[in-house]
Amino acid sequence: MIQLLLFAWLAAQAATSDAAADHMRTGLEARKQHQVDAEIAEFRRATELDPGLADAFVNLGAAYMEKHDYGSAIAPLKRALKLSPDLPVAHQFLGYALLAQGYAAEAIPHLERVGAQDALGIAQIETGQLTEAVANFNASLAKRPDDPDLLYYLGHASGLLSKSAIDTLLAAHPDSARAHQALAENYFVLRQMPQAEKEYREALRLRPELPGLHMELGQVYANSAQWPKAEAEFRAETKLRPGNAEGAYRLGAALLQQGKAAEALEELKRSNDLKPDMPETLYSLGKAASLTGGAPAAAKAWVRVIELEKDTSLAAQAHFGLAGLYRKEGKTQQAQHEMQEFQRLQSTIGPPRSE
Amino acid sequence: MVRKLTRRNFLSYAAFAAASPIFEIKPLRGIDFILQNSPTPQKYLIETMPGGAALFDYNNDGLLDIFLVNGGKIANSLHVPENFERATPRYWNRLYRQNRDGSFTDVTQAAGLSHAGNANYGMGVAVGDYDNDGYPDLYVTSYGKNILYHNNGDGTFTDVTAKAGVAGGGWSVSAGFFDYDNDGHLDLFVTRYMEWDADHNKICGGDWHTYCPPSAFPATTCLLYRNRGDGTFEDVSERSGITAKKGRALGVAFADYDGDGFTDIFVSNDGMQQYLFHNNGDGTFKECALESGAALTSDGKGLSGMGSVFQDYDNDGRPDVVVTVLPREIYGLYHNDGAGIFSYQSLETGLGALTSGSSGWGVGLEDFDNDGWKDLFVAQSHVLDNVQQIDASLRYKELPLLALNHNGRFERADSGVTTPLAARGAAFGDINNDGWIDVLITTLGGPPVLLLNRGGGNHWLSITLRGTRSNRDGYGARVRVNGQTRIATSAGSYVCANDKRLHFGLGSAEKAAVEILWPSGAKQVLKDVRADQFLEVREPETS
Repeated sequence: MIQLLLFAWLAAQAATSDAAADHMRTGLEARKQHQVDAEIAEFRRATELDPGLADAFVNLGAAYMEKHDYGSAIAPLKRALKLSPDLPVAHQFLGYALLAQGYAAEAIPHLERVGAQDALGIAQIETGQLTEAVANFNASLAKRPDDPDLLYYLGHASGLLSKSAIDTLLAAHPDSARAHQALAENYFVLRQMPQAEKEYREALRLRPELPGLHMELGQVYANSAQWPKAEAEFRAETKLRPGNAEGAYRLGAALLQQGKAAEALEELKRSNDLKPDMPETLYSLGKAASLTGGAPAAAKAWVRVIELEKDTSLAAQAHFGLAGLYRKEGKTQQAQHEMQEFQRLQSTIGPPRSE
Repeated sequence: MVRKLTRRNFLSYAAFAAASPIFEIKPLRGIDFILQNSPTPQKYLIETMPGGAALFDYNNDGLLDIFLVNGGKIANSLHVPENFERATPRYWNRLYRQNRDGSFTDVTQAAGLSHAGNANYGMGVAVGDYDNDGYPDLYVTSYGKNILYHNNGDGTFTDVTAKAGVAGGGWSVSAGFFDYDNDGHLDLFVTRYMEWDADHNKICGGDWHTYCPPSAFPATTCLLYRNRGDGTFEDVSERSGITAKKGRALGVAFADYDGDGFTDIFVSNDGMQQYLFHNNGDGTFKECALESGAALTSDGKGLSGMGSVFQDYDNDGRPDVVVTVLPREIYGLYHNDGAGIFSYQSLETGLGALTSGSSGWGVGLEDFDNDGWKDLFVAQSHVLDNVQQIDASLRYKELPLLALNHNGRFERADSGVTTPLAARGAAFGDINNDGWIDVLITTLGGPPVLLLNRGGGNHWLSITLRGTRSNRDGYGARVRVNGQTRIATSAGSYVCANDKRLHFGLGSAEKAAVEILWPSGAKQVLKDVRADQFLEVREPETS
């Protein structure tokens, strides 16, 4: 009798499994036809007929994901993993679904398990694991360097990481030079130059030898066109760090703004020696050379800018500079050619913006 | 010639050595004018652009009188057709006659200049004797229609716009009289800013609500009117080639930059390249700023050109150009290298350090210290009245810039103005006939400010040209005195008309050699001219 009953139960199970398999097949067919609702109905029926069929739960979860119904996807995916804990696709979908629903902490182990670094990074931003998030975005970007979402999230995570570090700095060492520097940088970004100047001054009072402070303060002055003050700060920076090419470039540019072309030329040459072929340095070097009567040196610098930059606005400016140079020298044809190149670039990339 | 060191000279030297201000602010007795620009929350762009002033002697009594252009009433919500309520005295343009004691009398109504038309929001003024009758006439520009007032010679003016055919339309800003065809009759050039009306206004700046940049509105063309010599003008804007170039023109200045005998036109455009219209001598012009090197900065960037002046700052005999601009740019100085070529020399001349944080409007190259070098004066103020909220490093109201010229390099000097102004126009002239150039500044929402030159010990010479074959004002003449050159004109600056007399500082020289090249082509030389006098020179009637 018992044997009979067991046989009858096994026969019924076989019939159920066959029916579940049919619904699975129909569901997969519906997926091919992009009939998501039919897909869901078929996979759900399969799970009802065979509650131990992990594949059916995974497919049901996947169908909900396809429909962007992440909340409904979670339960079948969890059930699938209960039935078959090592199903990678179930971990992946569940990780995404949980993340989409805001359960970042819960999503992380699933995403880690399948190595979904991009989604993992996003989850880690949510849970405040910023260092890990930055590492994961960097790893993902190595595979997809131009992905706009990845670039955005890397910037976002880095910004939060930076803010977090600065918040810690300000809380732990509010009177330190670095805290004042951080505040100054913030004011600079907000274009609140008087406050930025004040904070930089305080930072310099506390640690006058700190690299970069004079340079940043110089940029505050340069931004508000206070060129003699900017010059003084850039000069102080170059005294502290004579091997810093940017300091020499900025000093040269400040001197140039004041019409001190000969001095500017020396600094810009020095900057170019320290770090050759920086287009901005070369462009300014050309200007300084032009102002001091060094037409060949100016032409050389601007030609190099064009070689380096090709079709950028700086290249356009170099063409314009060359046109003026040749015009003065009476080289009409060359001047016209450079002006045409300038105009050609202007028409493609737009006119150079005002200072 | 060695100059004698008198007590007066010594004192003046001592005063300069102590870097005393060049000017003192002189109360304008009898002038109660307030420039009504009527700012509104709608930020109509016209609100921030007036207003003009003219220094001219309308009644030929030897004293400079003052004409001031008013804006108008702007409703908080303005619609086409606009009504600026110019019939209300508060919004009139004003003419003030200078009295012998230096005070002024308002003669607006008696002169027939009171009502400038309700549809016209005032901008600028040009002065020239277009009918060669010996009395200077007025041309008033507006957003709306412009008005030509004929000076009747009896203290009154008549609106002859309709007969003359010079009403224009749209948004006119600066204007100037000049004789482009050398026929002895002054022609008229008018700058127009953009295509704009109250129904097509925009507000920019997001939450800050600011005036929009010029690029927010379509560009437009300038106007050129040829004087037929019978009291009427012909609109030759298209035929002459002027309309071939659309721009956003604010300032205009005239000079024959290439010495071909025909007066050329420099137009300062806002937020783009500048225009140099070369006079071909056949009634047409060719815009050639780009190939001449007078269009852009040395970096190939456009300028927010506002005012402009076309005079020789470095005494090489060739007229140069200075253009005033907005901050983060540098006032453009285009040096005339000869052969029709200009080079951008703002940095070499010191303007980089002096001007990159300022917004300039009215501008003049005048020898304020009479040392024989033309100095630079600029009326300054940002275009946005709330700029400080947007950028804390900038200010709406600014001090004017006075930069003395030391052998072609400009260095800041104390103008004597200590309170920042919302300045726009600047007109230049010797208002008290003491041989030292004074400045009249217009200010938005405020009274005009007269900067009276405190003077000094240097000598000077003031020349009034009396054309016979050329136009009667001698506009366009090239006058050379002791190595300095001036182009005769009352135009230049921004929306203003300057004293037409040609002023020369002579330094320690007590005599001057004068050479005049008249627009007719006549050349005239005067030797051993005594310094410190107002000299009228009549053009020879035969060659």
